[in-house]
Amino acid sequence: MIQIIGLLLWLVAVPFGIGLIPASFISEDKRNPGFVMLAGYFVMWALFEVAAIPAVLFVKYNNFRPASVCFMALSLLCAAAGVLLMYRNRKAGSGIKQSGFCPVRLFRQMGWAERIEWLLFLLLLGFQLYRAAAYASFDGDDAYYVVESLIAQQADVMYRILPYTGRPTDLDVRHALAVFPMWIAFVAVKSHIHATIVSHTIMPLVLIPLGYLVYYEIGRTLFCRDAIDKDGVSRESGITRTRENLPVFMILMALFQIFGNVSIYTNETFFLTRTWQGKAVAGSLVIPALLWFFLLLYEGGKKERGKEAGLWFVFVCINMTAGICSSIAVFLVSILTAVTALCLAFTRRDLRVILQMGAACIPNVIYIAIYLVVAYGYLLK
Amino acid sequence: MWGIFLESVVVFKNYMGFHEGGYLAGIYLFALLYLWLTEKDKSRRAVFVYAPTLLLAMFFCPLFRKVFVRVMGDSETYYRLLWLLQMSLVSAYGILKLCGRYRRIGLAVMCAAIAACGSYVYDSPYISKAENAWHLPQEAVDVAKLIEPEKGRVTALVPADLIYYIRQYSTNIELPYGREMLIARWDYHHAMYEAMEKAEIIDTEEFVRLAREYPCHYVVLERDRQIEEPLTEYGYELYAEVGEYLIYQDRETETP
Repeated sequence: MIQIIGLLLWLVAVPFGIGLIPASFISEDKRNPGFVMLAGYFVMWALFEVAAIPAVLFVKYNNFRPASVCFMALSLLCAAAGVLLMYRNRKAGSGIKQSGFCPVRLFRQMGWAERIEWLLFLLLLGFQLYRAAAYASFDGDDAYYVVESLIAQQADVMYRILPYTGRPTDLDVRHALAVFPMWIAFVAVKSHIHATIVSHTIMPLVLIPLGYLVYYEIGRTLFCRDAIDKDGVSRESGITRTRENLPVFMILMALFQIFGNVSIYTNETFFLTRTWQGKAVAGSLVIPALLWFFLLLYEGGKKERGKEAGLWFVFVCINMTAGICSSIAVFLVSILTAVTALCLAFTRRDLRVILQMGAACIPNVIYIAIYLVVAYGYLLK
Repeated sequence: MWGIFLESVVVFKNYMGFHEGGYLAGIYLFALLYLWLTEKDKSRRAVFVYAPTLLLAMFFCPLFRKVFVRVMGDSETYYRLLWLLQMSLVSAYGILKLCGRYRRIGLAVMCAAIAACGSYVYDSPYISKAENAWHLPQEAVDVAKLIEPEKGRVTALVPADLIYYIRQYSTNIELPYGREMLIARWDYHHAMYEAMEKAEIIDTEEFVRLAREYPCHYVVLERDRQIEEPLTEYGYELYAEVGEYLIYQDRETETP
């Protein structure tokens, strides 16, 4: 029982509470429970990065404890602040919009064909979750990542013990800054469950639905927005932009994941066979989330002043999340952001896009600087 | 430069699985081309058309590859640049846009096309029915449970089959060598590994000498592993038997 309470607290309640903070600073039409949960996870992972990396770098012995105490305090404070902010907003008459997520209301509005399509998607999702929980997927890298989580749980040490053998080791900067296994260890400690069980059995049941939640939000952005913008300009561009496209989009996405194993390298293969590894989270959660935010930030006409702060905050946190996933992911999201900023600046004839996106990537620059100093610092001595 | 370009082509082919009959890339390139011709929305054109095209061009650019590999210090991860294309997202959007109001017929056709061009992930030889909540082989868990100390740590010498799993169950069990020895391209050398895995018949005297250098409290051998003289004649006792494994405990090494 205590395990279930621990999991619900740290995998549902706390991220949702944290997500209420950025949700309080965006326009109401974008505010829905799916956004809150995803934003909460990205902010929470960014907080974990801030708490864990200094402990990894500057504390040599028993460095997991200070990191987890610091993270716990930060995230509980943020979750409480989020709840207070939403309470204040409710009093002011602007809570979370339910229309995007209330299943009963949506179900009533749907035609039979749409209901069957959603059912088909849910069956595909359920099948993937069943396979993730009931089947084991072997991957040699688990001897590193999963054991790192277990070392943190059992020995209270982060990245100072070689996972393969158990002998003491120096910091391996390529892995030491990517603290996603330590977040798994934190969940394992708080739920009193063995870190290997959390990695292999529980994480897929959380991360696969989260991945589809990102796809759902992208689909909503693409297919469910009003055809007419606030500035009165029609945005119809050939596609029948109705909510009915959304279940078909989700079915296609689910099929691409299931049949995307054309090689062991694709992000689809990583998503379903190595779900608990940071690089899989980078490929199937962080990168799609960036695309979602490119659309959220730059689609449509004029934005209400002051209603985008929450979006930019989450965008920065998504970039920071790449850092806890893998060091390479930071380079990848920086490249993606730079290239997309360039393209957006070109299509919108607006150079401010480059400045805005560049500012949002400042945490990536700091991360890369730390990486280079730790990796090549010996050259300065 | 031409050689570096060809390397990128090989990485692309391997990623797309062309050599194994995977043609999902065909659907992606078709969707991308369709979006090039039809997408009018400025932001979507930037995100779903221009950016992926530019990223593809960068992927094949020899100079970019050279810089990327130099900065990352590793050419093996270059394929991850292709993750930025988010092929399934672009494909699904392009297909839905193409199908327009005939999306149900389009869905049926695309389901068939995806299944035909793709590869079913659960057919992977690396996926098998889970034997326990740890998703580790039950024999590995049983061995680890038997040798895991109540306090402190022990060192155990285990066959290659168990190396990946033992420390995923308990980090209180240390190993003289680990997974690094099993990856041929990493090219590590370890005398204990040579004595344990490479010798056709284990030279017991040399094997015991090396094992006691650590010292290894336990030695796990496959039941049918050939050995010159039994370990029991060198101060070991048969501690337990688990499936096809025999666990020996060294009586001359103090176990915590």
